[in-house]
Order: sequence, then structure tokens, then C-alpha cells
Amino acid sequence: MTAIDKKMHGRAGKRENRQKLSRGDIAFNIVNYTVFILITLACIFPFYYLLINTISDNEMVRLGKIQLLPQGIHLENYVQVLKIPGILDALFVSVARTVLGTLWTVGGCAFLGYLVTKKEMWLRKLWYRLIIITMYFSAGLIPWYMNLRMLGFLDNFWVYVIPGLVSPYNVILVKTFIEALPPSLEESATLDGAGYTRVFFSIIMPLITPILATLCIFSAVGQWNSFTDTMMLMPSGKFYTLQFLLYKYQNEASSLAALVRNTQDASALANVATKQTALSVRMTVAMVVTIPILLVYPFFQRYFVKGIMIGAVKG
Amino acid sequence: MKLRWPALALVLVLIAALFLPAVTLHVHSRVDGAIAAQIPESISLGKLILSGSGAIHPTLTSLERMQTARLELGFGLALAAAGGCLLLFPRRKITCAALWCSGLSLALLGAGVFHWTNLDNSLLFEMMISLGIGLYLPVIAAAVTLLWSALSLRIREPETQKPLCADDRKLRLISAGLAIAALILFFLPAYRVSLPDTVTGTPGDAAILNRDISLFDIMLGQEKNLYALGQEREGLKTPISGDLAELNAFSNDQNNVGGVFQIRSANTGSNPLLMAVAALLLLSAVLGLIPKVDRWFSVVMISGAAVLLATEIPGLLTIGAGDMYASASRQLLLLGIGKVTFLPLLAVAFAAASAVTGILGIRYANEPYFVNPLPAGFRIRFVAICLSVIALVCMLLPGATVSFSKPGKNKVLATATISGTDALTLKAADRLINPTDSKGKPVYSEEDPAATPAMVQAGTDAMASRFTWLTWAALILTLAGTILLIAKANKRLVMAMLLCATVVRLVTWLALGAGLDRNVAVAEGSLYLYASLPLLIFAAFFSNFAALEELPKKYKLFLMMLPFLLAVFLFSYLPLYGWSYAFYNYKFGLPMDQQEFVGLKWFSEMFTNPANRENIFRVLKNTLGMSGLNLATSWLPMIFAVFLNEITRTRFKKFVQIFTTLPNFISWALVFSFAMCLFAADTGIYSKLMMELGLNDPNNPTVWLNSGDQIWLKMWGWSTWKGLGWGAIMYLAAIAGIDQELYEAARVDGANRWALMRHITLPSLLPTFFVLLMLSISNILNNGMEQYLVFQNPMNRQTIEVLDLYVYNITIASRGTTLYAYATAIGILKTLVSVTLLFSANFLSKKLRGESIM
Repeated sequence: MTAIDKKMHGRAGKRENRQKLSRGDIAFNIVNYTVFILITLACIFPFYYLLINTISDNEMVRLGKIQLLPQGIHLENYVQVLKIPGILDALFVSVARTVLGTLWTVGGCAFLGYLVTKKEMWLRKLWYRLIIITMYFSAGLIPWYMNLRMLGFLDNFWVYVIPGLVSPYNVILVKTFIEALPPSLEESATLDGAGYTRVFFSIIMPLITPILATLCIFSAVGQWNSFTDTMMLMPSGKFYTLQFLLYKYQNEASSLAALVRNTQDASALANVATKQTALSVRMTVAMVVTIPILLVYPFFQRYFVKGIMIGAVKG
Repeated sequence: MKLRWPALALVLVLIAALFLPAVTLHVHSRVDGAIAAQIPESISLGKLILSGSGAIHPTLTSLERMQTARLELGFGLALAAAGGCLLLFPRRKITCAALWCSGLSLALLGAGVFHWTNLDNSLLFEMMISLGIGLYLPVIAAAVTLLWSALSLRIREPETQKPLCADDRKLRLISAGLAIAALILFFLPAYRVSLPDTVTGTPGDAAILNRDISLFDIMLGQEKNLYALGQEREGLKTPISGDLAELNAFSNDQNNVGGVFQIRSANTGSNPLLMAVAALLLLSAVLGLIPKVDRWFSVVMISGAAVLLATEIPGLLTIGAGDMYASASRQLLLLGIGKVTFLPLLAVAFAAASAVTGILGIRYANEPYFVNPLPAGFRIRFVAICLSVIALVCMLLPGATVSFSKPGKNKVLATATISGTDALTLKAADRLINPTDSKGKPVYSEEDPAATPAMVQAGTDAMASRFTWLTWAALILTLAGTILLIAKANKRLVMAMLLCATVVRLVTWLALGAGLDRNVAVAEGSLYLYASLPLLIFAAFFSNFAALEELPKKYKLFLMMLPFLLAVFLFSYLPLYGWSYAFYNYKFGLPMDQQEFVGLKWFSEMFTNPANRENIFRVLKNTLGMSGLNLATSWLPMIFAVFLNEITRTRFKKFVQIFTTLPNFISWALVFSFAMCLFAADTGIYSKLMMELGLNDPNNPTVWLNSGDQIWLKMWGWSTWKGLGWGAIMYLAAIAGIDQELYEAARVDGANRWALMRHITLPSLLPTFFVLLMLSISNILNNGMEQYLVFQNPMNRQTIEVLDLYVYNITIASRGTTLYAYATAIGILKTLVSVTLLFSANFLSKKLRGESIM
């Protein structure tokens, strides 16, 4: 990101120094800035709106009085939502699938990406094509479902992790990245007697960390965000994820009402301001799901561009 | 490094936590749930530790795990304080000690708090506990200490150039020691079961039944069912019947009743998972103790052990949670209390620590560390031996399933499984005699002349005997092959044996159904049967090489690739087998060869049946309409990028970029909750705004979100909101790659800002735009279903249902299985169209630009 930015801004900065802004330029700038400020606001505002509605006086929220500023701030909603039975389990499942699924996918695709760069492999091109072509077709919902069912993945936590081993797109990214590395590094290690695994772990792995970081981000976000797999593959209600609970709460008004009743029992000192309503529970759960993303977003944000750039150069 | 004064603040915080309110108890009235009484002041953590949970309410004293929680909190607090104090001293080793202290205290405090939070479920109905900051503060403080010490360890100090514990030998020994410690913990109590006196009448009898159960006992299945033990020792004079329904009446929480029965019935068989953990721990410890053995072996093993052990812990914890106070009323508070000690958690911690030190050891090892523990000549045979042993195990596991049905009926009434073990013990035939359905009624009776039990049995007997001797043969061949492999016998001989075993297995598979009357019984091989075939073939293949060096590189690479190919096959190609459903009158649960073949009926059904045709055209219209809208505006991200590039302030540009990409990282479920809040009919900001403007009647607000009006546009709006900033990144990157001299030259020629944008920036972005456009054209039918799924409701279903969503709605969502074949047919057509589109787009791209997009 930084290198690109410098380049872009370098040019822009130079131009600014050189020529004076004409009246048209000023008008253009004003319009341009305004439009971008509006777009950015449109992107941030829902997050902000949800936040102020979860920390404000619930009675006022119910009446629709909280629109721009929070009022009667309290954190009772969050405390109560975390007490909903199943939420903590779902959080655990979500975290577990995100961590394990990411490690599994990225590890698998990294090693596979390395293997397919080896020209000496028996029938390499055939295997590579067989893997890549899966990107362009899918068997469809029912065959996919029946297949996982046949393999015993229904109601099984590992369905979140194991089928993701090979992701063709990631394999292409890693392969492209490795092919751009100088081959001499690997050759010298091979001369020193290192085997393939050894070369991969001690030489290739450290060099491809940038692309692995990008893959990690995408895979982790995908894992954290997915809920349709839970919906289809967990018929008996085991291993619910946070996202799925969120989805479920939005759709099942009756179960939500029951939940609200439960949480109200639990909050012994409930007064009107902190009493849970169906709306507040919904919004708070949504916020609980968003917060982890907001927390890690600033850290991984800088890896996007790199990943996209490599992605643009397809192999 | 200077004395760290903030550490002092940490210690002060911990001391303050002692006096802050930790727990409050409310007593509710039984009738309406209102608070009947409340203990006036909250109990502080200090008092909690000093006087135990009895300080809150006398009945809590008898909850044994609350006493454990007291100990855990006490020790945890002390350790956290010690960690904080140690942080005051800027020595590296002391910081390391602080790290360990705070880590351990975090585990202890966590367990203590867990016990308290868990208490809420297990109190009697009329009592309610609320937890205060005093309970959480020490946990936070311990976490801060842990983080801090870990961070300060990372900063290398000038006087000690050597990284901490850089001695690889020492680390290896520590690692092995920790593994052994974890193993020792197997023999210490993992949980305790104790019985209140009231259940037996005499305290002595109760005491007989109280006991500690170690992980070792659980592993070997030596833990006896409490109920059975009570009967055996005649301690339980008035046993409570094991009928869940009977207990339910006394409980408002079914889960907890389940918990009680878990204590009574869990862990009565041996636990293979724990056995594996113990074996791994032992092996890694032994390997770690042998010098010059590659440490990766032990590290991998120990990590596996830690993970496996950790998966076992939740099971143990639920035993503790099902404590009797949880479930039933006072009369029944009597059965038994399972209480998990913190020792299994400690075992996990030790195993994990052992893995970490092992990795550190590898990092700092200066000797050439790749020394394989197996002699080079043995390695490849080791692989072969492993494979054939796994094949042996597969042979012992369930090999075939026989499904029984009445003649002429398709419904499967009963299934029976025969395993290799049955075959070995000559019991296979018994498994298939007189199949009974789910209600326990025999499927076949003498009255039905078409299929009397004797007739069916004649077929199954033949099948069972064939299965038996074939399995015997395969087992003997494989076993002999394995032994010969170990004994370094002639490799041709070994190979012949293993290949013969493969053939025998193949015959077993092919001959499974022969002799059975297809109308009544159908046999199917199990996954284990199929799995044994490739295992044996590969074992034979590997037994061909005396040493790994003999294996040509190209095959070696292929073998490394094989697991991945297998995964691709299993999860991407195997589903294609399901396409065959589209040609059958597919009935769920029946084996494929009993399905009725209908040819292309489902495909023609799509267009000949008017109801179906209408639906198909409707969802196609929706799919194409919404994809089309997105396609028609796919230039938006490009324009976004071009104009964003015109902004000269770096900070502002970055700000815009960061926040406009954020929506891409939240799920559609979340987008929908945002939408629901913003556009709620009565409270959302949108309708409030409309009311202000007089466009919305406050008494009868418009249901904007749920209505089906302009749903395409709304969906387009949401996907643009989510994807605009993200889509622009690629164009921004492309803009950064444009040669600056082009701009300079144009400017010299007098081009203004618009001209630069029109003649330089846009044309250089067009190739990227073109590729993306082609890809999205080929994906025009696959617009996913998540977005439409979350936004759909009965009001807008007609206009929001896209192809994918339609397939989901008529099959899995409606829980019906009758339309599986039809849905598969739709899926096949969709895939075919998509692939055709993709290839045409690719062809077009090749023609127009001379470059392929794939």
C-alpha cells in the first residue's frame, strides 16, 4: 500500500506545486471532496448507528428517539446478550473454525502451490489443471449436500475446516508468487541436501509470508462471515456459529421473544431503560459479531492492496 | 531497562480488586419471578476467598465446585500479584518467571470465573447470582501482565545478546519433561464424583461411592457407572429411576437433567481419543529425550496431543456442569455431583507449553537438526507398514450395510451392518437374521409368501459366509504381507501378497450383493471397504522400494501431492456423481440401483409443466435482472478510483479508502441487521427522516425494507454499498502502475485534468475493466444466494428469488426431499450454461485482446 501511495501522492504533490489551481479546479475539488465525504459517511454510518442504538436507553430506542447521538448510555445490553444460552458456545465455534480453518486452508494451499511449481513432478500439468478447473464448475447444491452427507460431515464440526483444504484461486496466487522468486535460492538448498519439505519450510515459507498473510485475511474473514454452511449442514443444531445465530435471531421472532424473556428474568434489577427488547437484542448481537472485525480491521487493512495486486496477475 | 512503575499500578489494581464487589445474590419469588429478597451488600472478592461461597448463601457451601473456585481464585490472585511484582524487576529471567506466573494465574482465574458464571444455570430457580467487576478485574490484570511480560521479553536487552533460553539441549529436556508432566497428570483426579448423604441414608454408604476419577480411568473405560456402582455396593438403597421424563417434571432445564445422566452413564467404554493422546505424549517425550532425533517429530506429536486433549476437555466440563443442584427440586438434589478439577486443563497447558518449548528448541538448535529417527533404509518401508496396518484396521471396521425392505416397496425398513470383526468371530450371519424396524417389529413374517424370513435368510446367510471367508483371506494376506515387510523379506513376495489382498478386497466389494434377492435386501460397501483398496495398492507400491532414495523424484512429488488430489476429488469431483440423481425418480435414502430411472423427465419437466415453467422463468428473470443491474454498473468502481485519485490529500484519500472497503468485510447477515435497524418501519432513521419530510405517514409507516417494491434496485444498492470501495482497490493499484511520463508529456502538451483522466487514466484501466466484465458475464447465473437469502421474506419472495435461492428454497429449506432430482437438474443446466458462457467470454477475449482471461 505504502509504495503505491507514495507513487501516487508524489505525482499529485508535484502537480499541485507546479500549477496554480484554476477556478474550475476549485469547483471540481469541492464537488469531488463532498461526494467522497458522503460516500464514506454512508459506509460508516450504519456501524455508528448500530453502536449508539445498542448503548442507549432501550426505551428511547424502542420509540425511535435515538438517531444521531446516544442518550442514557449503558452497557447492560451487552452483558445480557452474552448471557443468552448458546452465545458463548457459538462464539467458541466461530473462533475455532476461523483459526483452524484459516491455518488448514492457508497451510494446504501454500504447500500445494509450492508442489505445483515443481516441473519434475509426474504428470504435473494434468494434476494442476484438474485442480484449477474445479474453480469454474460446481456440482450444485443438492449433489454438494448429499456428498458431504455421505462423507459423514453432517452435524460435524470439521465440515467447517476440512473441505477447504484446496482452494484453486489461492493455489494460483501462491504458485505465481513462488515462480517470481529467484530459483537459485532453492537450488543452493537442494545442493546442501535439503528435501522438498525441508526447502519449503525453511526457504520458501519465509519468502512467501506476504501472500500468506493476505490469504490468511481473506480466509479468516470468509470463515468468520459464513453462515449458510451452518444453516444447511447442521440440521440437529450442533456447532452453531455466531453469524448463524445472528441470522436466526433476525428471522425467528418467536424464539427471540423467548430469549428476551429469559434475559429479562436474569436481569433482576431491570428497569425500563435497560430492559431488553427484541430490537435491542438483535442489534446487540449484530454488534457483538461486528466488533471482532472492527478490532482486527486496522491491522490487516494494509495487506489488501498487495493481495489484490497479486490476484490481478493471474497464472 | 528502568524499574517499571506501571507494574506497581497493576499490583495495586489487584489489591483493589480484593475489595470491589464481586458477587451479588438475589432471591426471587417462585411465583412471579420478582425479587423477593436481596443480600444487601455485594460480597467482595477478598471475602469470597477468605470465607468461601458460604458467605453468600449457606446452600452454596455444599456446592463443591464453588470450593474449588475459591481455591482457584485465591491461588490465581496470588500468582497474578506475584507476576505483577516480578514485572517490577527489569531482569530478563525474572520477566520470564512473570510470564509463567501470569499465564498460570490466567488459567486458574479463568477456571474460577468459569465456575462462577456457570453457577447461574445451576442454582435453584429462585436464586440468581450477578457477578461484579471484582471478579473480572483480576483476569484482566493477569492478561495484561501476561501480554506485558511477553512483549518485554521480545525486546532484546543490550547486556544479554543471547536470546532467552537459547540452549537447545535444555529446551529439549524441558519439552520432554513437560510432556511427561502432562502424562503424569493423567493419573491424578480429573474429576470427582461425590454423593450427598441424603441419597443413601447413611454417610458411610455415600462415602463409599465418592471417588476420584483420573483421565487414565476414563481412557481405559474403568470408570464405573455411578448408578451401577451404587447398586453393586448396595449403597443406593432407594435408587432413582433413570427415566428422564420422570426427572423433567422437577426441572426447568432439560440440559441439566442430561448432565446428571451423563455422570451416571458417561465414560463406560474405553476412550480411543485419550489413548491416542497418551500414546502421542509418551512417544514425543521419548523422542525428545533421545539426542539427535529430529525435534519436529516430537513437536508435531505433542501439538497433536495438546489439540486432541483440548477437544476432550469440553466433554469433561459438561460432566461438571450437570451437577445435581442444577436440575431438580430439593427432593431430587441427591444423585451425585461431578466436579471437574483443574488438572486436565493443566495437562493441556503442559502439553501446549511442551510444544512451544520444542519449537523454540528447534529454532535455537545449532547442530544440523534434520536427523530422522528412522534409519534411511527403513523409512520407506515404514510408510508401507503404516499403510498396510491402516488397511488392516479398515478391514476390521464396518464393511457392508444391508438394507431391508418389503418386496415391491421402496422404503427401507431396516439396516444392518456387518464388520470385519463380525466376520472374524463368525458372527456376520447372526447380524442379518430377522431384521427389525425402528419400532422393534420384525420386517418379514411368515404370512407374507413373497418374503418369508427363511427366504430372506437364505440369501443373507450366503452373503455373510462369503463376506466372512473373503475378509479372513484378506486379513491373513495383509497381515502376512505386513510381517514380511517388517522382517525385510523379499519385496516381490510382499508385493504379491498385498496385491492379492487388494484383489480379495475388490472381490468382496463386487460380490457383496450377489445372492441377495434385490427386492428385499440390498448390500452396500462402506467407506472403510473402499478405503482399504487404495491403501493396499499404495502399500504394495511402497514395498517395492528398499530405500527412499530409490523412489524417483517425480513419484515422490506426486505422492506429496496425492493427499491434495484426494481432497479435490472428494470435495469437488465426487459431488458430480450426484448429477445422476437428475436422471432418476430420486428417493432419499435408497441405494442408487433401486431408484427408478426416468431419463430426461426432470429436464423436460422444467419447461413442460406450466407451474414449473412459470417459476423457472420468474427466477431466471430475477437472476438476470439483478445480475444485469450489477453488470450495467460495473464501471462504478473504476470511476470511483479515477475520481479518488484526483484527491491530493493523502490522509483524506487513505481515510476514504479504509472506510469504504470496510463493508466488504462484513457478512450479508450483518448487512441485513444494519438494514433492519436503519430502515425499521417505525424506529429507523430512514422512516423518521421521511416522516420529517412528510413523505411517510407516522400512524401508518411504510414497510420499506420488507416490501417487494423495487427489490432489484434495493438489492443493487446494498451490493454496491458493500462492494464499491473494495472493487476500486484493484483500479487504484492499476492507476499507481501507470507510467508517470505519460502524464508529464500530456501536461506539456497542455492537457487539463479532464483530458488527463479521459485520455490517459481511463484507457489504461480499460483492460482490467474488460477482464472483470468478462468474468462477471460468465458468472451471470451465479450471483450467489447469501444476499437474497437474508433479505427474502414472504412479501418479496416473488421478485427476490434467484436461481440458487430457488433451488435452496424448494429443497433443503422446505425440508422436503421429493424435489432433489428436479433441483439437481436445474443445477446441471446452470453449470453447463455458466461453463459455456465462460468459454465464450474467454474466446471473445482472445479474439479482441489476444489474451485469455482464464
